[in-house]
Amino acid sequence: MGRAAVGTYTRSVAASPVVSLSAVAVRLGATPILRNVDLELAGGEALGLFGANGAGKTTLLRLLATLLRPSAGRAIVLGVDIAGVGRLEVRRRIGLIGHTPALYPELTLAENLAFAAAVMGLPATAVSDALGAVGLTAAADRPAASCSYGMQRRTEFARELMLAPDLLLLDEPHSALDAAAADLVGHLTDAVVAKGGAAVLVSHDRERVEKLVGRSLELVGGRLA
Amino acid sequence: MTLPPPPLWPQAVAVARRDLLRERRRGEVTWVTLPFGAIALLLIPLAIGIDAPTLRRIGPGLNWIVVLLFGVLVTVRRTAVDGAADRDLAMRLGIDPAAVFIGRTMANAGLLLVFELVVGAAAVVLYDIELTRWPWLLAVIPAAALGLGLLGTLAGAIAAGQGGANLVPFLVAPLAIPLLLGATQALDAGLADGDGSLPWVLLMVLVDVIVAIVGVLTARPLQETR
Amino acid sequence: MNGIPATTRRRSWLDTVAIAAAAGALGLAFLTPPEITQGNVARLFYIHVPTILVAYGCFALVLIGGAGYLTTRRMRWDHLAVASAEVGVLSTGLTVVIGMIWAKPTWGVYWTWSARLTLTAVLFFTYLGYLALRRSAEEPESRAHRTAVYGIVSIALIPVVHFSVLWWRDIHQPPTLLRPDEMQIDGILLAAFLAGLVAYALVAAALIVRRFRLAVAETELDMRLRSGGGNIAGDAVTAPQLERRP
Repeated sequence: MGRAAVGTYTRSVAASPVVSLSAVAVRLGATPILRNVDLELAGGEALGLFGANGAGKTTLLRLLATLLRPSAGRAIVLGVDIAGVGRLEVRRRIGLIGHTPALYPELTLAENLAFAAAVMGLPATAVSDALGAVGLTAAADRPAASCSYGMQRRTEFARELMLAPDLLLLDEPHSALDAAAADLVGHLTDAVVAKGGAAVLVSHDRERVEKLVGRSLELVGGRLA
Repeated sequence: MTLPPPPLWPQAVAVARRDLLRERRRGEVTWVTLPFGAIALLLIPLAIGIDAPTLRRIGPGLNWIVVLLFGVLVTVRRTAVDGAADRDLAMRLGIDPAAVFIGRTMANAGLLLVFELVVGAAAVVLYDIELTRWPWLLAVIPAAALGLGLLGTLAGAIAAGQGGANLVPFLVAPLAIPLLLGATQALDAGLADGDGSLPWVLLMVLVDVIVAIVGVLTARPLQETR
Repeated sequence: MNGIPATTRRRSWLDTVAIAAAAGALGLAFLTPPEITQGNVARLFYIHVPTILVAYGCFALVLIGGAGYLTTRRMRWDHLAVASAEVGVLSTGLTVVIGMIWAKPTWGVYWTWSARLTLTAVLFFTYLGYLALRRSAEEPESRAHRTAVYGIVSIALIPVVHFSVLWWRDIHQPPTLLRPDEMQIDGILLAAFLAGLVAYALVAAALIVRRFRLAVAETELDMRLRSGGGNIAGDAVTAPQLERRP
């Protein structure tokens, strides 16, 4: 597959924890999802997060991605209190690959990445490098809707390789990736961590993820154990 | 990581380009909404009678009603097509919400401009409308396209994820009344030369400016309340 | 009593004054002589015009409430906005209905397509849309934000509605009071009108205050529900119970 490209801009090592959650609770409507969650994640660390269906893993991930606000407690991500107004600036430094591929179905794989590059101020050449790194050069001009779920997942990995986030959040990262592409998970995680960032991997595949992370936690009853 | 935030305008242009590219691939406005509006112009005389002088007199108003009601569908289409995952992606990429608003508006206004021109041409042909004050069209048509684009984008942002596709037309239609009045009154053939059109055009421009300011200023708070 | 907080049950001094003013205005409306051309049906004027003027005031309060919320993020401004919007929609609806009742004996039809009538009906639907938007959003902060923006933009319709009778000279009479030149109404009739305006404004204010207090109580209840316990969502998921194949 070749060596995956990583963003070429300079990176500063986080002096404070990348993530600091203190007694965080999240409610969706009146339903409590997370309750009294404490978590500290330092730069250079990769965390595996496990739990049963409905435990709140995806909710926690979305909170870390600043897509949700805590209902209670304090959540600091990359130095910013995400209950405040600085969420927009910190979001550019966070990468999230969720359950559902977040691609525009009418646009080609290359156009999807080109859009991300344009709004992030990256050069257009970054697109071809990223697609080449994930083995999708030949499929670059295919509309995302006509690509398989696995190809769409690879494209999302290409996007994160291109954007080189400081905090990487992966939800079921090995889902739909074939044996050749599964290495992308470890490669992307290592790339982020090696530069002083942090990664959180949520998965039901404990065996594979525990080989990639330094420690693991489990969500039970809305709390981290 | 110390990547500087990209400027607003390139982000807005990227959003507009994305929306127009998606429309070019989907063809929903070109192949569905536009013909639907033209069909409406055909159906109206079947209901109210085909008396040519009557149709010539009411034709301009009917044209703008079709532009308003069917033009809203152009922006509703955006709200319906963009699911939660698409909205999340804009947030996750850290795109400035004001850039999303401006870019969306540019795309919607562009599509509405094409819609107005095609539907307007159909109305002129079908209803034998005399364009006695046609120079004012050069101001009215873009002002209406921009105004409807702004209102639709703002209403889409307000109603996003809250049963939005059905709520947007209900929110936009009453607020578009000043645009409708401005467009019909500015082009009223009954006006004496050099009298009366300018205030109506200025009313449309005022609506556009107010909605643009409100849309840009509230873009971030609206996104952050999700 | 029925779990309704005491603050929303108790009759306040404002309620009492509003009821008294309404009674007084009603009495004055029937004591004035009939209008010289329209006769007794013109007495509807003493409530018809106040309802739309008060509606304008309510929608101005929606604007103030929305702007207040966006600047301070305090829910009390949103409570003011929703209370004013509901009373405003009620008032606008009354304007249209009373106008239709007046129109039948005067114009011979319940409805004409005059600019003032049509745009007033549009105003009614605009703020009905405001209330529909409120119903569609579940989270209080999201609801307050979205409706604040919509309420600010919607206020632009009010000058269009009010000046429509000047811009288009049609069957609806021009303004009697708020007009560029001098007022077109005699002393005793003016007194009855002003009494109706003051009384209806007091009734509307009393309704807004009650609705405001109800909104405060609803928010307090919602906060209590959210901050309390309740089962974690994940506890509802258990291991599948599958029958073993023989």
